[in-house]
Amino acid sequence: MSSISSPMQFAARQTATIMQQVLLAATPAILISTWFFGYSLIINLLVSSVLALAFEALALKARGLPIKYHLADSSVLVTALLFAVAVPPGSPWWLLGMGIGFAVALGKHVYGGLGHNVFNPAMAGYLFLLLAFPLEMTTWHLSEAALNLGSSASPLGLSALLQNLQLTFPFLADSLDIDGLAMATPLIESKMSLQSAINRALAEELPVLSRSAETGWEWINIAYLVGGLFLLARRVISWHIPCSIIATVICWSGFFYSDGSSSVMGTPYLHLFGSATMIGAFFIATDPVSAATSNPAKIAYGIIIGSSIYAVRVWGSYLDSIAIAVLFGNFLAPLLDHFFRPRIYGQGAGRKLHKPKAPDNPLSTQEAMHERT
Amino acid sequence: MLPLTDQPLATGLVWALALGCLFWTTRRFWRWLNLERQQQRSLVDLVNRELPQTQCGQCGFAGCRPYARAIAQGEAINKCPPGGEQTIARLSELLQELAEPLDPGHGQSQPPLVAVIREAECIGCTKCIQACPVDAILGGPKFMHTVIAAECTGCDLCVEPCPVDCIDLVPLRQTPRQWRTPAPVAQAGLSATATTSEQRAW
Amino acid sequence: MISNLIQRISALRHASFKGGIRPAPHKQRTLVSRIMPMPLPEYLLLSLSGYKEEHLSPVVKEGDQVLKFQIIAQHHSRKELLLHAPTSGTIEQIGTNHIRLTCDGQDTEVSQQSQQKAKMHSPASLIDCIAKAGIIGLGGAGFSTAAKLRLAARAEVETLIINAAECEPYICCDEALLREKAQEVIRGAEYLMLASGARSCLIAIESDKTDAIAAVRKCLGDSPVQLKLLASKYPAGDERVIIKSTTGKEVPDQLRPADVGIVVQNAGTARAVFEAVTFGQPCISRVVTVAGSPLQTPKNFYALIGTPLSHLFELCGLADNAKHIILGGALMGRYAEEEQPSVKKTTNCIVATDSENFPQPMPERACIRCGYCAEACPVGLLPQQLLHFSRLQDQQELRDHGLMNCIECGACAYVCPSNIPLVQHYRCSKEDIHLLERNQAQSQHWQARYQHYQYRQKKLADANNRKKTRAKAADLAAAPDFSRASAKMEVAAAVARVKAKKQREND
Repeated sequence: MSSISSPMQFAARQTATIMQQVLLAATPAILISTWFFGYSLIINLLVSSVLALAFEALALKARGLPIKYHLADSSVLVTALLFAVAVPPGSPWWLLGMGIGFAVALGKHVYGGLGHNVFNPAMAGYLFLLLAFPLEMTTWHLSEAALNLGSSASPLGLSALLQNLQLTFPFLADSLDIDGLAMATPLIESKMSLQSAINRALAEELPVLSRSAETGWEWINIAYLVGGLFLLARRVISWHIPCSIIATVICWSGFFYSDGSSSVMGTPYLHLFGSATMIGAFFIATDPVSAATSNPAKIAYGIIIGSSIYAVRVWGSYLDSIAIAVLFGNFLAPLLDHFFRPRIYGQGAGRKLHKPKAPDNPLSTQEAMHERT
Repeated sequence: MLPLTDQPLATGLVWALALGCLFWTTRRFWRWLNLERQQQRSLVDLVNRELPQTQCGQCGFAGCRPYARAIAQGEAINKCPPGGEQTIARLSELLQELAEPLDPGHGQSQPPLVAVIREAECIGCTKCIQACPVDAILGGPKFMHTVIAAECTGCDLCVEPCPVDCIDLVPLRQTPRQWRTPAPVAQAGLSATATTSEQRAW
Repeated sequence: MISNLIQRISALRHASFKGGIRPAPHKQRTLVSRIMPMPLPEYLLLSLSGYKEEHLSPVVKEGDQVLKFQIIAQHHSRKELLLHAPTSGTIEQIGTNHIRLTCDGQDTEVSQQSQQKAKMHSPASLIDCIAKAGIIGLGGAGFSTAAKLRLAARAEVETLIINAAECEPYICCDEALLREKAQEVIRGAEYLMLASGARSCLIAIESDKTDAIAAVRKCLGDSPVQLKLLASKYPAGDERVIIKSTTGKEVPDQLRPADVGIVVQNAGTARAVFEAVTFGQPCISRVVTVAGSPLQTPKNFYALIGTPLSHLFELCGLADNAKHIILGGALMGRYAEEEQPSVKKTTNCIVATDSENFPQPMPERACIRCGYCAEACPVGLLPQQLLHFSRLQDQQELRDHGLMNCIECGACAYVCPSNIPLVQHYRCSKEDIHLLERNQAQSQHWQARYQHYQYRQKKLADANNRKKTRAKAADLAAAPDFSRASAKMEVAAAVARVKAKKQREND
């Protein structure tokens, strides 16, 4: 018994519980996204999760670790969730497989597994796909009903699944008899026109529950916000990163807001609720392993990520900048940890810890010698 | 550059912020450079601080400072048995050299030792008193000699000169003060990177 | 969750600190009854070991008959470290670390023990009385109270804090004491104020101990002691944390509280001081909490020092599902390793563990850097970084990140989702650093002695050289001169002498 040290009691939530709470918090947003845009996202999620578990099991086997024990901490499911939301819905399964494989194996296990990765694995996988397969990553394969949300047809139909299967397994096209549909880059379009669309929506006061692209995005982001607040209330994440990201984005967008311009220097509302900022602030950037560690460093981390989100989105040429911004923050996290440390009890200004007094007269260290007798 | 030509205030603020950061960084760096220079100590002093100062000569040099001087000239760092693994590790960190295991040709690492004189056999010749490098032996000609245990370094230099061979080197008595908390040992195979008992060398 | 929120909002007005945890208290069953007096056990095992060099040596022999309050062990140089016999009986056995006293049941006191009470209420006289009573800090650390007060008086402290914050689960001895004997504690606090020379005195209690607070309020009257309520978080009762939360001052790792003008004493110590000063009674008993779910009736006892723990557990009714004994509370205690553990002066609580409340710790996982530990740390450290550096054994970084300020409260390990034994890592690393510092101090000391030895040898050699040169010069002066010039002179003198003689003969 002497090898066990105090404390003797623990109240800790296990790692698995924390990961499961993150998944729970994202569920409302997934459901609302399905309501608006169809089953494609669910397909993404299912395929990513299954493949993620498979790749994780392979990697653990290769490292010689017990598979069931490590799979039980559900961390790879959170990676799969964030990855599936980032990658365009309706993507072919080989794309998902490559991305999640990269994320799990090269974004996580190569560094030492859970707790040792430098970069957010989901974002690393997404960026790999973006660079390797730019065309596939800028094409959304939505069902026709989802494309024309104003029409009466519901996007909740099987056509999404069939279309996805056809895309993944082209040799099935004949037997399934589907007309393939593809929509080019709604995100680029949105960069130009979503702002005006949302402004129009705000101006014309469209009924809130209507099925339109503008309110769809709003509702999804509100759902992520609610999920994030749930995580805050359950003390799964701390407020430092989300609040500093959101505050920074508001500051930048408010600063540079120029009414009537055709670029995406939109209102703060647009930047918060018309894009992926909410999920980035509450779910992606708060990944504890790759984020900064101490609370002061977290605030600096959030400021850097918020600034990068705005800068890349507005002045960069990528679709949405969450992945790049978060990876940029991950680069800087160790440096931030080094410089932004909380003040330790007893420290004066300038992080000077009280140094031990050197013995003035060496012969007076008799006290230290006494235990030798 | 930033397309802010129509907002001079914003441009000015951003420029001011950027210049301020640059200035602050440069100042910090300059201060840090100066501090490093002021704290420059000779390498020999720094090496000597890591040696245990037993002045035993087991390294082959006449004391700890000559060995420190030799190390500063490139001598191997694994020749000090009283210092043991701890000294080798600290020297390797200081000099950015590879830490070799202790050279067995210079002795084995032992637990802390103290010299004890068997007083019944002592003849009072003062040869051991002259040999002790830290004056840890009390006595005079034709008077009883005794070792002050608190000052003895266990260097072994008094044993040879004694003509009646009445000095023993014994290990220090273990007190509760020397009890160490056992290092936490993770269950093998479960956590890939938790500490295992081999990794805590000392 | 709502009640939690309300609790947190109302706690805003109490003295609080950043971080901390709120574990389940497990005190309700124990506080149902009053503090029970304890029937005399068959024998007492009195411990002689102390902190650092405070090991006591017995002044009685085996077979001696001793009376209650008789001094049976003391320190060889520090007169304030004493052990008194808690009851009368025979000394059955003296070991290296303990004295076994067989009680005769008569409880005969040493005559005129009341003469030991303080003659005057001057600081020196009070401290003298406390020293003679052998009182040490009953809160757990066990520093000699008289020595602490002397230090405080020399350092001219301003504030005395009576620490009645019992934040650890299971421990409720101070709360029970305040509930019943608040008057004695407050009087004791006033004596401590006089003895230390403090200008103000605070008694700090956690806000959820309502009975104790009411009792204290009733007894305060116009006493100079003030009541201060603390937010009920763990570890509110740690010395440095309580200083920060009540006065706002911080005590860095290398300094003592007296250096910032504060002295902290436990509430139980205050009562012991009251008894010593008023009745001359030395420190022979204390309130001990005996708790744990395997016990039928957990209680607080007025236990004699040296009472075997088995005796106390028998009085509470120990069930079969008890596994181990913890000395202390659930978060900072340790498992009892002795064959026959007994009550020491610093034992405030003993807990019988069962597997439901004290489950086997789960296997350790990788640290996910969630930061819950940093949120819980009351001293503002970054435990996740400390763990990293502790594994690397990088002592410079550990020191820079403030490891030596760690109070080993266990809040970080309590909240860790990966079940990492953080406190064990830090204890190892702290010991490594202490060992290194001790070795370095020792090396410096030996180096100084060696340099003195070399100086002495040089002085001796110089003196020898001077003697040699002087002797050589003297030799030269005394030696006969065989040079040609002197020979010529002698010859010339002899010739002159012969000439003179011839001259005289001619005349």
